[in-house]
Formats: sequence, C-alpha cells, structure tokens
Amino acid sequence: MGVLALKINKKGTIMAKNITIYTTNTCASCAMVKKWLGAKGHSYDEVNIDNEPHRQAEALAVSGALTVPVTVVTKEDDSQEVVIGLNLARLAPALA
Amino acid sequence: MADAKIHDLVIVGAGPAALSCAVYTTREDIETLLYEKAVPGGLISTTDWVDNYPGFPDGIEGLTLGDNMRKQAERFGAVIELGEVLGLKKQGDIITLDTTDGDVQAKSVLIATGSGYKKIGVPGEDAYYARGVHYCATCDGAFYRDKRLVVVGGGNSAVQEAMFLTRFASHIDMLVRSDFRASDVLVKELESKFADKITVHKGIITDEILGAEIDGMNKVNKVLGTDKATGKKVEFETDGVFVFVGLQPNTGFLKGSGVELDEIGLIKSSADTLTTAIPGVFVAGDCRADATLQIATAVGEGATAALKIREFLEGHL
Ligand SMILES: Cc1cc2nc3c(=O)[nH]c(=O)nc-3n(C[C@H](O)[C@H](O)[C@H](O)COP(=O)(O)OP(=O)(O)OC[C@H]3O[C@@H](n4cnc5c(N)ncnc54)[C@H](O)[C@@H]3O)c2cc1C
Repeated sequence: MGVLALKINKKGTIMAKNITIYTTNTCASCAMVKKWLGAKGHSYDEVNIDNEPHRQAEALAVSGALTVPVTVVTKEDDSQEVVIGLNLARLAPALA
Repeated sequence: MADAKIHDLVIVGAGPAALSCAVYTTREDIETLLYEKAVPGGLISTTDWVDNYPGFPDGIEGLTLGDNMRKQAERFGAVIELGEVLGLKKQGDIITLDTTDGDVQAKSVLIATGSGYKKIGVPGEDAYYARGVHYCATCDGAFYRDKRLVVVGGGNSAVQEAMFLTRFASHIDMLVRSDFRASDVLVKELESKFADKITVHKGIITDEILGAEIDGMNKVNKVLGTDKATGKKVEFETDGVFVFVGLQPNTGFLKGSGVELDEIGLIKSSADTLTTAIPGVFVAGDCRADATLQIATAVGEGATAALKIREFLEGHL
C-alpha cells in the first residue's frame, strides 16, 4: 500500500490522504476509476496485479473480494474506506 | 448535474448505439447530453478483443474501440455525465429523467442502455459473488493464475471469455446446458486451439455453487450439476466460476413510465422510426426488441435514431 503523504488540493487546503487503486491491464472499470480520479484532481498510487501478481493477496486482504478495481482511501485520521468496483456513488463521498 | 435547462437530446447510456447517435446529432448542432452509469464505450469495454467490427482488419481491443467511440462523440461536443438514470416521465412536450444527480429535462430522449449479465439463479451464486463467482473475465480473471475454473454457458460470450481465461487458469471445465449456441467460427477456434486447457461438458445443468473456508476466507470450491442424459449428479472441483448465460435488458428504470416492454424487458418500438410508445422517446441497440445484438448493428441503429430524432425536433415526425 502507498505511503501516507500530505497533499494540497486546488483550494489550497491540506489533505493528509492517500489513494491506492488495485487494477489489471484489461479491466475497463479500472480505467474509468483512474480517469474519474484524475478528472477530479486526485492523485493516486496504482497497484497493477498483472504486473505485480505477488500483490494480489494484498488486494484480496483489503477488500475481501477477488475483483478489481479496489480503491483504498486513507483519510486524515488514518481510517480507511475501501470501495469495490466502479462505484462512484460510494467513491465520491469517500473523497469529499 | 441537475439543471433548469431543457436539453435538445438526452441519451441514456454511452455504449456504441448511444455514441454513434451522439456523433450524428452533435455534428448537426443538436445539443446532446449522455448519462452513463458505468463505462463510456458500453459492454464491449469489458471484452478483450473484437474481430468483427468493420474498419479494423486486424481486430481491436474492446476497451480501445469503446474509448475511440467516446472520443469521437466528445470531439463534436457530446457531453457525458457519469450517473444513473432511475426513471422517466413525459408531461406535455417535456421529458423528465430522474437521475442520481437530480432531475434532467429534455425535448427528446434516446434509450440505449443495452444489457447486463444474467445470473444462473442457483444457490451459492449470490453468496459467493466476487469470492469465486464472477461475470467479468477481463476484470477478475487475473485472480485465477494457475487455478482451476468452471465457465457456465455455451453462447458467444461464454466461448470468447473461456478462451480469454486460459491466459490465467490452468484448466477450465465448461458447462453447457445443451449444445453450443456460439458461432461456428468461435467453436472451431475453441476446439482447435484450446482443447488442452478447456474441457467442454455438454448437457450439464448447473444446480449449485458450493464453498468452504480456504486460507481464512469462505471461497468457492465446487460446482454441482445434473447430467441431462443420465439424470446423474455430477460435480466439478474448482477455484472459481465465471457465468456467461446470456444478458438481461437494462430497462428496469422504465417500469411504469409508459415505455412499452416485452415479456423479457426489451423495449418495443416502431421498426422504421425507432420510436417507443412515448413520442420523443427513441430506442437503439441491444435493449430494443428485435435487435441483432452486435456492435455494428447497435452503431447503425444509433445513426438511424439520430436522423429520426432530428426529424422529431423539427416537427416532421
Ligand atoms: C463478452 C461479450 C463479447 C462481445 N463481443 C462482441 C464482438 O466481438 N462483436 C460484436 O459485434 N458484439 C460483441 N458483443 C455484443 C456487443 O457488446 C453489444 O451488441 C453492444 O455493446 C451493444 O451496444 P449498446 O450500445 O446497445 O449497449 P451497451 O454496449 O450495453 O451499452 C449500454 C450502456 O448503457 C449504460 N446504462 C445502462 N443502464 C443505464 C442507466 N439506467 N443509466 C445510465 N447508463 C446506463 C450501461 O452501463 C452501458 O455502458 C459482445 C458482448 C459480450 C457480453
């Protein structure tokens, strides 16, 4: 999982927040989540389990599901929100 | 993106039918807004390779084809909103769509919502969803490197996706209810190139998906079925099940709207104008009754719908 880092958003406020997304090369929903995060100005760490098969267990441990995309949002208080699939209805509030 | 504006055209979905329509309407200065609940590009975005769409002599990745269609529509001014349409009603000349972002109003609407994957409807299927039961090979196949899989289904998608899954799986048992419904070309490819990795079992009814505690997680380990010829119970040891038993139209949001659906939920329309039972509401692609369920035909219907929508907006239809 990515390192917790201080980030500054467009409004100049500090967000102690880290986003990690687990993906594969062929998954269309993964491409959409990345595109959506990019469009909303969020940077993220990507773990591509096609390129790093040994990290597959990590994706499974964090989500409890054998599927991608899995997006892990680490909040300012270090609590984590895990969003499985292309679920913007959950991802948007998790990042608000 | 709820707003007070009355749009010329709102398209529900952003698959091939929708994007083709949007290319035509935006080029004719018909202001066009699309609502997409998942991936612009539609169902083909989840299939790894398309070999039968004209213009690509060597074939093309489904994801790339869908994305190219999106780019082309956006180049002419189509606006794609990520959100789900939950309902539709027409009052006077205005059609109101209930969306996850609030109400959106339009003078005309194209429904191009395609279909989603159908479930088998057996015990264990819901309980093990994403923990051994899957409907998307390109999303979830990578979790089955060197594992055994069962693929349920015998149509084009089942054959195509089973062949894709051999990139990961050590062996696949394919359970076909009666005989293949897939095209001869695909069946020949499966039999000639993948016989060592895919064992086809015809005449098998899938009855139940079972699981057990494996590595601290409750996962699929077996599929139970019945051999139709002998009536005997059969079982297949497996690490996962991929289900491709057909599609179900994404038209649930139209119940009670006045748009007429057939018994399986496909939208009825006039064959020459693609108009539904509600004037100003058109339909194109896989969610239309009598559609031929191909990218090329969805794109053709999208273009036809665009021309009819123009006639409607000009008061000629
Ligand atoms: C595994 C597989 C392989 C295939 N391979 C081929 C092939 O090689 N060649 C070929 O010609 N065809 C192929 N097809 C068929 C092809 O994918 C479809 O015919 C085509 O995608 C139909 O396009 P469409 O625009 O009608 O619908 P879709 O592509 O299904 O697009 C509909 C879109 O609407 C969205 N949507 C649905 N409901 C809502 C809502 N309420 N609000 C907002 N958005 C909504 C969906 O998310 C979707 O993106 C394949 C299909 C599958 C399943």
